[in-house]
Amino acid sequence: MMNQATNTQTLASLDPNSVESRYVVNASQGQTSSYVPSTAGSEAASWNMYRVDNHSVENGSFSNSTYHHVQQTEPSTRTVQDGSNAASLATSSSLGTTNAQPDYSGYNSYSNSTDPYSYGSTGYQGYYNGYQQQPNPSYSQPVGAYQNTGAPYQPLSSFPNTGSYAGPASYSSTYYNPGDYQTAGGYPSSGYSHQTTTWNEGNYSNYTTHQYSNYTPDTTGAYASGNAATNSLHYQQHYKQWSDYYNPTEVSCAPGTENLSIASKSTQVSQVPGVSGGYATSNSQAPPSFTPSWRPEPSSSQTPSLQPGATVTGGYDSYWKHGASSFQNQHPTPVQQHFQKALDSKPSYDNFQEQQKTACPQGLNLQYPVAQQSSQSYQPPLQTVQSVDTRRVSKVQIQTNPRIASNLPLGLPKMDKDGSNNNTTAKPAYISVSLTKPIEKVLPNDAADSVLKVGMFPKSLKNYVERALGQCEDEKQMAACQAVMKEIITKATNDGTLHTRDWDAEPLFPIPNADMVDKNSNLQNPIPVSAIPKYKSPTKRSKSRWEPLPEEKLLDKLDPVNSYAAKYSSWVHVNEKDRKPAGASSEGKTDIMNSIRFPLMEQKSASKTVQRPVKRQRLADGNAADNGDASSDSDKEQNLTAYYSGAIALANTPEERKRRENRSKRFEKVQGNRAQINHFKAKNAGSGNLYARRASAMVLSKNFEDGGSRAVEDIDWDALTVKGTCQEIEKRYLRLTSAPDPSTVRPEEVLEKALLTVQNSQKNYLYKCDQLKSIRQDLTVQRIRNQLTVKVYETHARLSLEVGDLPEYNQQCQSQLKILYGEGIEGCHMEFSAYHLLCVIMHSNNNRDLLSSMSRLSDEAKKDKAVQHALAVRAAVTSGNYVMFFRLYKMAPNLNTCLMGSLCRENAI
Amino acid sequence: MAYPSMGEAHRRITDYLNNFSDAVSDQDVASLAQLFSFSSNSPSLLSLADALNFFQDANRLIKQSDKFSQFGEILAPLFRLLQSYRLGNLVDAYHAFEKFANAFIQEFRNWESSWALQALYVIAYEIRVLAERADRELASNGKSPEKLKGAGSFLMKVFGVLAGKGPKRVGALYVTCQLFKIYFKLGTVHLCRSVIRSIETARIFDFEEFPRRDKVTYMYYTGRLEVFNENFPAADHKLSYALTHCNPLREANIRMILKYLIPVKLSLGILPNAWLLEKYNLLEYSNVVQALKRGDLRLLRHALQEHEDRFLRSGVYLVLEKLELQVYQRLVKKIYIIQKQKDPSKAHQLKLEVIVKALKWLEMDMDLDEVECIMTILIYKNLVKGYFAHKSKVVVLSKQDPFPKLNGKPVNS
Repeated sequence: MMNQATNTQTLASLDPNSVESRYVVNASQGQTSSYVPSTAGSEAASWNMYRVDNHSVENGSFSNSTYHHVQQTEPSTRTVQDGSNAASLATSSSLGTTNAQPDYSGYNSYSNSTDPYSYGSTGYQGYYNGYQQQPNPSYSQPVGAYQNTGAPYQPLSSFPNTGSYAGPASYSSTYYNPGDYQTAGGYPSSGYSHQTTTWNEGNYSNYTTHQYSNYTPDTTGAYASGNAATNSLHYQQHYKQWSDYYNPTEVSCAPGTENLSIASKSTQVSQVPGVSGGYATSNSQAPPSFTPSWRPEPSSSQTPSLQPGATVTGGYDSYWKHGASSFQNQHPTPVQQHFQKALDSKPSYDNFQEQQKTACPQGLNLQYPVAQQSSQSYQPPLQTVQSVDTRRVSKVQIQTNPRIASNLPLGLPKMDKDGSNNNTTAKPAYISVSLTKPIEKVLPNDAADSVLKVGMFPKSLKNYVERALGQCEDEKQMAACQAVMKEIITKATNDGTLHTRDWDAEPLFPIPNADMVDKNSNLQNPIPVSAIPKYKSPTKRSKSRWEPLPEEKLLDKLDPVNSYAAKYSSWVHVNEKDRKPAGASSEGKTDIMNSIRFPLMEQKSASKTVQRPVKRQRLADGNAADNGDASSDSDKEQNLTAYYSGAIALANTPEERKRRENRSKRFEKVQGNRAQINHFKAKNAGSGNLYARRASAMVLSKNFEDGGSRAVEDIDWDALTVKGTCQEIEKRYLRLTSAPDPSTVRPEEVLEKALLTVQNSQKNYLYKCDQLKSIRQDLTVQRIRNQLTVKVYETHARLSLEVGDLPEYNQQCQSQLKILYGEGIEGCHMEFSAYHLLCVIMHSNNNRDLLSSMSRLSDEAKKDKAVQHALAVRAAVTSGNYVMFFRLYKMAPNLNTCLMGSLCRENAI
Repeated sequence: MAYPSMGEAHRRITDYLNNFSDAVSDQDVASLAQLFSFSSNSPSLLSLADALNFFQDANRLIKQSDKFSQFGEILAPLFRLLQSYRLGNLVDAYHAFEKFANAFIQEFRNWESSWALQALYVIAYEIRVLAERADRELASNGKSPEKLKGAGSFLMKVFGVLAGKGPKRVGALYVTCQLFKIYFKLGTVHLCRSVIRSIETARIFDFEEFPRRDKVTYMYYTGRLEVFNENFPAADHKLSYALTHCNPLREANIRMILKYLIPVKLSLGILPNAWLLEKYNLLEYSNVVQALKRGDLRLLRHALQEHEDRFLRSGVYLVLEKLELQVYQRLVKKIYIIQKQKDPSKAHQLKLEVIVKALKWLEMDMDLDEVECIMTILIYKNLVKGYFAHKSKVVVLSKQDPFPKLNGKPVNS
């Protein structure tokens, strides 16, 4: 705790974003005081953070233990949310405070990113403490869920996923940086952010009015409390109220038109996940808050932030805060949450345990649409995506706000995702409390939530799930199994037997009818679609924005889900526009970028973080450092691209990867336009979450000054490296035309055997060549570069020299060996430099090559027998001493003879 | 470092801006070039850089007046360049310089006359030098040095701007020479070919019209290329041109030319005076020359071994190695002269055993077969006139001019 606190403090201190810190403060009771300041200082941003926290708290409550805690110390839970970070927090919670610390550190980084916001550092400490304690328990449960969902998240995390990524990113960002949120928005699709911007622009007025009205009715009480809390110490009370609110709020939300639609969605979602009542409530809450809140929120932001915050509800403390500072953010965030919930519930359920790829895509799609829908509230869509992945519970998250905020100066991306699906772990991790532009951060939060959920499941349960899924034969069954499993798990969660039951001994349920699943999936799909229409209005808005139509949000048209791409593009456009409108265009852009990255990072991190909190810590540290380093925009961009690539890498299946890559390309183009986007947040948030490997990759990418693309490639290779499982010793060479399939790639031990068989084989050269090529391919695919690699190439080189296959020798073996030796891998270096010399002599018209290869020979090499021989051959050839040449030919070591034979023929000696 | 006061910094920057716009409007290329030659470390530029680093918002000053803001594209990166350069951040400086140079080229294109050529020269020079230094910085950081390559492509662009019919074309050769320097440094000499082709074949260029210093540099580099190709007569011509036209006071330049010209001349059978080698500190060639004079094969091999690194790096190793045949010729000639003194009637019949003995005395352990092979080649290459009696192992030399001199002609190959 202390560490975390310190971290946060440091972060806070570092960052001007005192607001976030203040939020933190708010979360804690003691924080309340800080709250007020924070609101004053960082304004909306800090508030948003708080709200997010609250959301997370709610989620935590879902998880059960956390829940109580949350209620009790809702502030704390809320803090958790802040952490979309929360995700990290959750993990930490499960692990213990230490984990939380890392998360915090990640947060810190966020805060740094949000520095511009200038949050109160002191407040942060308080926050952290509160967060760690209370939130931790709840988180732990969610973590389990997260793990399960983690995979889905990852897929989601892919660009399309970006939304989800953004979610995670937003988590961290939400806490500290509103800016992150914005960036997150950008991720899912810049479109998101665009939408938000539009929200801010034209819709604000509308939003405020609608939302406010809705909100007040729905959560009037809560709101009031929220308001009070914002400034006063009441936070705790507020929190409780908030928690209450959440349920009520959801319901209340339903009343709103938008809410209604959302609610319907949410309900569906809830069914699927079998989420506890809390879920439904959360959903309902979210919807109301979302639709009304979103639009109203913007306005509210303008007006008193407090009101929006209230609407948001518990999670909402942060919202409140945000609202206080920037109401807009808060409102949007709630909206987002709703969206997310709906989406989340559906997709997440499907994918839940397995995070199946199929499910993921769906989820992604859903998310996307949602995002589009929510385009008005960009954050929401993003959140939804994230939520879909991991947050089935997806209670209510308010991500949209952040984006909106981003559009406006204040982004309140609050993503509250409820892990309802998994364990009813509602995690409103999103705190799109971005001070001014960070709304997008919310998305990252969602991802974090998902992570948390995963983490919450006991290991035995995971095993159980694996077993259950293991009996499935196809995707349909898988989906059905997942649905059933979700029910089981939610039931267990509700019963409180989740952790007590002996999952290992639990009998497997019969495989459900795949058709059922299909239906479910269909239902889910429709739901998203329906949601989409509502949401779509935002997208349209975005489009309209292109044409400067701020009020188009009102126009709720049903956009075809199919037009995702179009939507995305529109989103992007919107984003661009948004950026322009944003006062600090460059900063805003940077923020968006960051947020985008964050999401990606978070997704990855989320999935992995759950499992390896320690690494997270390290990463977090690295992030902090990164923050310090991140100075130039170009660097940031590179990082972003790297993140993207990483996200892509996460994709489990090749198809998914491809899809994502395509999407990512789209995004990258957009990014190119947004050169200004900052990496700060992304780095901070993302780094914390990334694997060590990825982190290193990131570092690399940073190092590349111009090579954003190159960096991307590096990371890709790192993450995509295949681990072969094939045990066949012989394998025909076939040039790869697609991503390698691990089941056809031989691991290193097998390759060693394969090499031996080839060496001892009596078959002809063509067979051996074929075998060696396939060995080389497997080595390359698995990126094995060691003595075995050298041996294989040397074997092949010698074989080709023996039969005089010089093209094979020159083009393949020689050049590769040169590189391998250059890397310091041991082998018969001298022997092959002699061959090389002889080859150069053979092509005697190239004096410069001869000169350079001679001048490269080391003294040691010149003492080598083979090299000396080659040099003597050269001297004999140049002086025309053919007697000497043939003498040398007779006494040639190794395979020099073979080469000299070719030499004779070539030069007609 | 004493920071200037704010006012002082402001004054320096405005002075610079005024100088720049004055130089442009007056077409005063000398002062303009001075404003660009930052690597000269002139005190005025150094103090300007300090002022820029202190007075962070120099761009505001540029935008203040139309006089400056019309050159904002040029000046803003230039200021950044000066700042980064002053801070020792050469990679950033290079990036800024490239931006600046591109902007300047854009502007230069619009100027009808060639008044700003000098300034362009400065830019072409500075970008190369800066790129080299930036690459060193990159390499020391473990990154791939690629700035020089970038500078190369930039200069190609400049070459395209200059290669026209207008008065600016006389600047093309300078840029070409800078390109040569880059390509030789990078080891991508094949890239020189396209530039050489356009210089030597394009009708717009009259070689004599170019400035002398550029012609000398151009001849030096193309001569070196001919050395690589072992086209010795052409190399001799080009390097001799460079030698005769270069500034006789620039001994370093003369030495660079001689470094290649001497091996070329040796290959053509022309030996330098000892004092020449001494004067230009080219003593690594003195033993080679001695070996040629004496027919001392051992000395030649020793000389080659001793300076192997140097010769390999400058690329003349293979050229010098080929002198071996001339050394053999000299050795045989000496044997012939001694035999003639003993018995003039049988002097033209040279027994292989004698040659083997002579080689043994030189500690060259070669047997009859090898010597036979060498003698065959000598005859084949027209270094010795005569025929070979394989059965009796005797070389029968022509009675007329048995050892023809090369006299500026290359050894037949």
